[in-house]
Amino acid sequence: MFERTKDLKLSIIKQIELRASNYPDVISLAQGIPSFDTPPCIKRRVERALKRGVVAKYSLSPGLPELRELIELQLANENMYYDFEKEIVVTAGSIQAITATILAITKSGDEIIIPEPTYTSYREVITLAGCKPVFAPLNEEKGWSFELDQYEKLINEKTKAIFYCNPNNPTGTIYTKEQLLELAKLAKKYNLFLISDEVYKDFVYDDQKIFSLAEIPEYRNFVIRIYGFSKAYAMTGWRVGYVHSDEKIMNEIIKVHDSLVTCAPVISQYGAMGALEMGKKDLENFNREYKRRLDLTVNRLMRLNKVFSFVEPKSSYYVFPRILKNKLTKDDHKINSWDFSLDLLDKCQVAFVPGFAFGKNGEEHVRISFGRSREDIIKAFNRLDDYFS
Amino acid sequence: MVEVERILSKPLIGWMIILVNMLKYIGKIFLKYYLGLITKIVLVVHRPIIIAVAGSINKAFVKEEVKKALEERKYSVRANPKNFNTEIGLPLAVLSLPSGYNSFRDWIPAILKAPRKIFLRRFPKYLVLSIGTSDPGDASYLLKIIKPKILILTEISQRYLESFKDMDELAKEYEMMRDILTEDDLIIANFDNSRIREILVESKARVLGFGFFEKSDFKLIKIEKQYAGQSFVYEYKNNQINKNIKRFGKHHVYASLVKEAIIKYVEKKL
Repeated sequence: MFERTKDLKLSIIKQIELRASNYPDVISLAQGIPSFDTPPCIKRRVERALKRGVVAKYSLSPGLPELRELIELQLANENMYYDFEKEIVVTAGSIQAITATILAITKSGDEIIIPEPTYTSYREVITLAGCKPVFAPLNEEKGWSFELDQYEKLINEKTKAIFYCNPNNPTGTIYTKEQLLELAKLAKKYNLFLISDEVYKDFVYDDQKIFSLAEIPEYRNFVIRIYGFSKAYAMTGWRVGYVHSDEKIMNEIIKVHDSLVTCAPVISQYGAMGALEMGKKDLENFNREYKRRLDLTVNRLMRLNKVFSFVEPKSSYYVFPRILKNKLTKDDHKINSWDFSLDLLDKCQVAFVPGFAFGKNGEEHVRISFGRSREDIIKAFNRLDDYFS
Repeated sequence: MVEVERILSKPLIGWMIILVNMLKYIGKIFLKYYLGLITKIVLVVHRPIIIAVAGSINKAFVKEEVKKALEERKYSVRANPKNFNTEIGLPLAVLSLPSGYNSFRDWIPAILKAPRKIFLRRFPKYLVLSIGTSDPGDASYLLKIIKPKILILTEISQRYLESFKDMDELAKEYEMMRDILTEDDLIIANFDNSRIREILVESKARVLGFGFFEKSDFKLIKIEKQYAGQSFVYEYKNNQINKNIKRFGKHHVYASLVKEAIIKYVEKKL
């Protein structure tokens, strides 16, 4: 019974949220949800589609051609050249793109290497597909970078892919072009797929350019890139994203996509069109506001330097501070990031995600989201200041 | 529904909503005719050569290639941004003004700047404009504002059929475009699309076809996918020509052929 689901776990983030909901005055910096509403230009595009009566029917399985055409234009602006008719599929959010991709490229028993700490749901999707996630640690001392020589040791005949998030959730790391090219060499050497989840690529807080391996034409046969509109355009509830790769790979992914959802919600596809046609200004505004919130969060964390140490994120809207050793004991007992987070929730009514949710290497950390409003961030840190002083 | 009834039960709020919607509607009508009128005057004064790109698919890439072809030959060109191809968007593109979208305040600069465009000293020699046809009558309205010298027809498919009775009604929009062109004008068309071929039987303007179709002027012989793009071979006036492009997909090959046709046109080598 329940053979397929027995090893799946409910996300720790959801568990924390559930517990937090029991505290009436809680400030949750746990879930990765932007505090903004979807920009009006996107809503207007959807209203127009609704009035025209074009959202009630299925779209083609890979998505509305006009949306895919816009996606191709957008990709070309970012130096990635893919055919909208055969190489781009619009999905119900990036997690469905991930699911369709993993189901398409693996068979039961295959292994997928995941640099960690990273997004919690990757593990569940890989497990659901009957595969085994193999965790490869990121190097915190080197700004959460890849440890490629270690990854090579993890590769065996069952290894099918390396699956990474760039910029990474929860660390906010942007992998450098050099690191990614080395990763590609490794993948090519062992005939592995590279799955690149780039859902946070629109949030960058310094001059670093985000490089994607999908920009290199000779890698298009093994690089699969995934993007979602949720974070960039405050559209988490719309569930719309896309996946692109070479035609040969996409021919297989589309079969799984079609059997999973038939097509992405058409109303959301019109929302995505609005985002690509008119959302640039809103995206810039979001980026500026997130930068302010990052600065605020970093300043407040620095005041708590007896509790946390941290690597400043370059992207995303998370900080992933390490909890200092002396704060990981309670009544002379060693505690973990889960206990620490529950303690904060109980004493301060502030919710963070315990670091172990993102893999073993994330233990002794917490993830703090600055996707929430500045007022919430200030209130939360005031409570922490009071508690730790 | 309950919410709507609750709001309307408060007469003041109800009336305010009706008033705001009326103002929006009046504002849209005003913008449509005001921008349309200024655009007509600007086009009469500056007399740019208009290249219209129409079709249910591939307008953006064709527009990009046409613009590139003209810029490479040092002509001044302006093309409309991605979604500026409707009754208000097209005039904004001709006048090179930003949209105020849904904000009264953001429209004020566009309204004030529009008449100044009449007196500009320099205006682009070529305008490359895509024409949107999502509702019956769209083409006839836009063609009252612009008179293309060259019309490019990329594809006619069922993609924007929702507002039309059938394909015949949609085809009428393209027939209207065809009919506005005279013997001195040029139509560059995708001959792989049978609807387009049918429409162009009665064209007064010179027609240049591209595609795999046997009677195409720019006749595709083969397309090959390569690791960094595509290579293709086409025949023009009994000469076979090889080309490589860095993009993937047949639509880019079509766009490249349109570019070749435009180059021949501006170099008077047709």
